[in-house]
Amino acid sequence: MVKVNQGSPQHWALRTLGVALIALVVVWVPTQMSTSRIGQFSDAFVLIIAAMSLNLVLGFTGQISIGHSAFFGIGGYTAAILIKDHGWSPGYTFYAAAVIAFVVGCLIALPALRIKGIYLALVTLAVAVLFPTLVKWKKLAWLTDGAKGIDSVRYDEIPVWPILGELKGRDGRAVFAYWLAFVLLVITYLVCRGLVKSRFGRSLVAIRDNETAAAVMGVNLTVTKVLVFGASAALCALAGVLSTLRTGVITPEGQYVTLLGSIVFLLIMVVGGAGTLWGPIVGGLVYVWLDNTTRGFGSESDGVIGFLFGWSDQSPATLILGLALVIIMFAAPYGLVGLIKRLWAKVVIVVPKPAGTSLPTTGH
Amino acid sequence: MSLLSISDLAAGYGPLEVLHGFDLEVNQGEIVVILGANGAGKTTTMRAISGMIARRGRIEFDGQDISSSSPDSIVRLGIAQVPQGRGTFADLTVEENMLAGAYVRRDEVQADVERWFDVFPRLRERRAQRAGSLSGGEQQMLAIARALMSRPRLLLCDEPSLGLAPLITQELFGVLKRLNAEEGLSILLVEQNANLALKVAHRVYLLETGNVVSSGSAAELAADDSIRKAYLGS
Repeated sequence: MVKVNQGSPQHWALRTLGVALIALVVVWVPTQMSTSRIGQFSDAFVLIIAAMSLNLVLGFTGQISIGHSAFFGIGGYTAAILIKDHGWSPGYTFYAAAVIAFVVGCLIALPALRIKGIYLALVTLAVAVLFPTLVKWKKLAWLTDGAKGIDSVRYDEIPVWPILGELKGRDGRAVFAYWLAFVLLVITYLVCRGLVKSRFGRSLVAIRDNETAAAVMGVNLTVTKVLVFGASAALCALAGVLSTLRTGVITPEGQYVTLLGSIVFLLIMVVGGAGTLWGPIVGGLVYVWLDNTTRGFGSESDGVIGFLFGWSDQSPATLILGLALVIIMFAAPYGLVGLIKRLWAKVVIVVPKPAGTSLPTTGH
Repeated sequence: MSLLSISDLAAGYGPLEVLHGFDLEVNQGEIVVILGANGAGKTTTMRAISGMIARRGRIEFDGQDISSSSPDSIVRLGIAQVPQGRGTFADLTVEENMLAGAYVRRDEVQADVERWFDVFPRLRERRAQRAGSLSGGEQQMLAIARALMSRPRLLLCDEPSLGLAPLITQELFGVLKRLNAEEGLSILLVEQNANLALKVAHRVYLLETGNVVSSGSAAELAADDSIRKAYLGS
């Protein structure tokens, strides 16, 4: 076990090493891996952004939402409609989607946040169920193309980014989608980090821990809750745009547009660690990895899987995924980030600065 | 000079009226105690003053009518509340709790944190610790320090002795007395413990089922036979 003082050169060296490792992986994936693998990482990034947005509302502010799949869908449809019907350049649809989702998020939050707990869960659940139905509605078909959805939503030509250079073909698109998703992931992370570590962020955790005390501290509960819900919806819409641009398709039955999407975001957030900045990142990567690995388990698999599940005609994929998640929650009740922190503390202990020497943080 | 002036205050929850219209006053630099049994309406009075529930009647703070103001604007005017049961934010550190207390201000916040750490040295030792890991007494200290971070002119304390050992409670009341004497802070305190209350209070109001039944200086009430019987047990 090693003890390291917070802010000492060793501590900085450790941090630099961590950042370097992450950077290496981030560059390794699109340059060395197969196109399908790159796609899986892009998928993970999309889910991470959505889970991060949910984390803001649920993990940090303690307001449950099962309606985030609707915001994801709003993002996806905004992009598809603007690009296909109005000839927008895909890049600008991110802004439009964020603004629209922010407004819709705030409007939903206004009545929804007057209620709490299980009732709030039900209201947001209704939103999640309503969205696909609304999109399929015949009278809106002129806009959304009904049950068929909208396809071939994509960049006409892959934009040329400074470092990436010119990318071509199917592989090039995958690499570009990867970097686009990565950039948005970093932006989302920084936005969440900025929000959470600020005066505003403290008021969010205050609301989660004790609403009454937060109110007598001068926190305006309604305004704060509505704003955080809107911001969260906007971030989730970005994930929706990204997903549509990557796959080129959006339909009312799309994977994350239905209620199932909300459940997946929730799962990722909880598995990774609710109320932590890195929780959704770890959770998203683990979820996509598990999902893709178990999906390959057919009923004709050999070895242990075949022995255990060979009697069934159905693929055991969903079952194994579910079991794996249960095991994770059992082994890491505070999420994977909590588990990693606990294990890491056995290797390196970061000693906080002694009392009275913390740097002034005036201005928060 | 009257800092807080309440007349004909009525409040409750939905159709249930808890406070039936009474008057109450806190003068500049005073410690006023509201004494009453369970269910008398002490906490409801606190909630009504800080704007947490709907109320009727007139509440004036420093000459300004606050009877229909929102909780956050009341905090901004200079009334801070230490809620019953402390209400520290368990997942924030001690220091972050203090910063949260300064939510309505932006200037000299860190200087104030250090200042109150001087008054509550034990909180300084625990500054980087999760508030949830503090003892009950420390949490009550933190709740008071946090309330002071908004630079209030009037501090509302809702039963600070609740669930604390007698020794800790004494220490706590000592701090409140000192804050009043040295900083000139006006305090409105809700208590069930009459012995304690009469020791720190300048004036006392006796609350019974939503009405003020008696009021006067601490000495006057301590001398009143019927009150001694009901609240002091002798």
